[in-house]
Amino acid sequence: MNEESSTLADLISQMPDPDERGMYCTDIDKERIEKAVAEIHRGGRKSVMAIIDMLRPPGEGNDAKPHYALHCLALHVCKLNDAKQRQQFAMAVASQLGGDRPKAVQRYLARQLQVAGGREVVGALGKLLTDEELCEAAAQALVAIGDGAAEQLRGALRKARGKCRLTVVQNLGVVRDRKSVRALKRAVRAKNREVRLAAVWALANIGDPGAVDVLLKTADAKDGYERIKATQACLLLAENLLAAGQRGKAAEIYTRLRDTRTDPAEQYVRNAAETKLAAMKRR
Amino acid sequence: MQENKSRDPVSREPRTVTRRQFLKGSISTVAAFTMVPKHVLGGPGQTPPSETFGGALIGCGGRGNGTFEAMGLEARKLAICDVKFVGRADDKMVYRDFRRVLERKDIDVVAIATPPHWHALISIAAMEAGKDVLCEKPMTRFIAEGRAVADAEKRYNRIFQVGTFGRFGRSRNPRDILTHKIMKSGLLKNCKAVHIKRGGLKVREWSGMVNATPQPVPKSLDWDMYCGPSPLRPYHPHRFGGTHRGYWDYEGGGLADMAQHHFDPVQWTFAKDDTSPVEVEAYAPPAHPEACGMWGWVELKYADGLTFVMDSCEWPIDDEPSYDRKESRDVSLSDLDEESQRKVAAMPDPEPLVSFAEAVKTRKRAGGNADAAHRCATLLHLANIAIRTGRKLRYDPVKEEIVGDEEANRLVNQPMRAPWHL
Repeated sequence: MNEESSTLADLISQMPDPDERGMYCTDIDKERIEKAVAEIHRGGRKSVMAIIDMLRPPGEGNDAKPHYALHCLALHVCKLNDAKQRQQFAMAVASQLGGDRPKAVQRYLARQLQVAGGREVVGALGKLLTDEELCEAAAQALVAIGDGAAEQLRGALRKARGKCRLTVVQNLGVVRDRKSVRALKRAVRAKNREVRLAAVWALANIGDPGAVDVLLKTADAKDGYERIKATQACLLLAENLLAAGQRGKAAEIYTRLRDTRTDPAEQYVRNAAETKLAAMKRR
Repeated sequence: MQENKSRDPVSREPRTVTRRQFLKGSISTVAAFTMVPKHVLGGPGQTPPSETFGGALIGCGGRGNGTFEAMGLEARKLAICDVKFVGRADDKMVYRDFRRVLERKDIDVVAIATPPHWHALISIAAMEAGKDVLCEKPMTRFIAEGRAVADAEKRYNRIFQVGTFGRFGRSRNPRDILTHKIMKSGLLKNCKAVHIKRGGLKVREWSGMVNATPQPVPKSLDWDMYCGPSPLRPYHPHRFGGTHRGYWDYEGGGLADMAQHHFDPVQWTFAKDDTSPVEVEAYAPPAHPEACGMWGWVELKYADGLTFVMDSCEWPIDDEPSYDRKESRDVSLSDLDEESQRKVAAMPDPEPLVSFAEAVKTRKRAGGNADAAHRCATLLHLANIAIRTGRKLRYDPVKEEIVGDEEANRLVNQPMRAPWHL
């Protein structure tokens, strides 16, 4: 073992040992941990890579200390309030995505990018969106980062299947990507109920005026939980349209819900629509 | 005479309302409202109110039955639902998927006693389905969830009450009422009050394991559904069944679990149901990414100067207070000039808080409604964000965002695993 790696090993050993319950509740020395983390950070990209090498999938060896140390580094670079330092850390972590490392390790790396990543890593995360085992962690990191996420999600939509497709459709709604409206309208007709519902909600959250018809038709046609959620999407779309000054389109939704929710069990939806229509008249 | 007895779990003060008193009060209030569903009011072809409430319990673990009882209603339990009912669910009385429960038109009220990562999503879905909701504390797992619950409560004009009731006792206490009026008056410009909660936040008890070895998922458990909006992790029994409290994925340690009990009454006393602190600072070691662990203290300061402090008394030294920056201090009339004192004395007492049962029958807002509960939950979430980031935070209570700290804001509105979203 050379001197450098021995120093890093010494620093990693400064991280706390889990107590008898497997927890970090005993002998937690804040100053000692913070000092060791700052020292590891001074080791730069090499130290980050060495820590990543120590990570193991759950149940395949004890990596509690490097696991904690990498997260402490992510917190540390955010605390420095220095964009360059944060980017260097994030790019070092992102460079280990998409390769041969175990998927569980890659998921953990993506989660550290959810903490400390920025625009500089969205491309690396975007490549994971079509991987069944990584798409969820990648999408969550992307939407947390925000900047540049929409392009990655949009780019993955055509290739994503199964769980990945559902994840991408939903998150296009989260980031309110107007450029995906056409594709999302197609997804409303998907065979998979979850994808249909995710697309309906995404269109509502984006607030696209051209989605009024398709959402109302979906809400009218379905029953059970799908009708409840599609109706909610109609109300959400109406609120977004109102906020954007599209009163006519919003009124169209409220009027239709008022006129069609005549079953006593849906009286509350009718009431919600009537209340909104009355408020619109007063303004 | 039939009596409707329930016990306030925090104040330990029994509340007794006779059925006759209850209905008398309800009918007079109901007359003023036209939006009460007919099946709730009774009438031709309808069953009287005392027999009409169909109830469901979602989350049948430790707090389940207690939460259902806390509704204080004569509700028939028509459905029970839990992710641990795999192989037992008949989708008639026993369910493992709450969505099937919410489709039922004969269910009016839902008690939610799942782990907190499900509280907001099920509360919202229940209100979207036209149900009234009593939800265990803590109301939410992160800040944006609370705003979404409050939006749903308003959008559908449903009743929401969080499962902590200490504020009901406070709202009848003359000393708390006076403090409430002083704070509500807005006449106290530079508030020096400090409320310190020392201990009782179960930090060590509800910490998480940092090196848990994955175990096989029990056959009776739908683990994917249990994880729900949170990351799908390998199963370990410590992540389930009460000890889930020690993981950020599901709750937020003893702080998240206990602080709503402690601070919800205090928030009412200090009239802070419609705002949040503007500065938050914590003393804690760097947080673990998954497991909740030790922290010393958190200081939360409102714009008017009022300060709330959580002192764990468990770290760095066990059983010792670790917070010594400020002393506890109350608000009193003498903090005001004479003219302001007269104005406060002339203020009417606040309206009595409405219980969940009364709210369901009268359609008045419940005392622990979604807005109030959300503001209280915000306290514990801000505290945990300060612990998890290790940074002093500035918070905008109107926009409900952390100011100038993009990475900390990622914990205000956390991404969810599809198909779950706010």
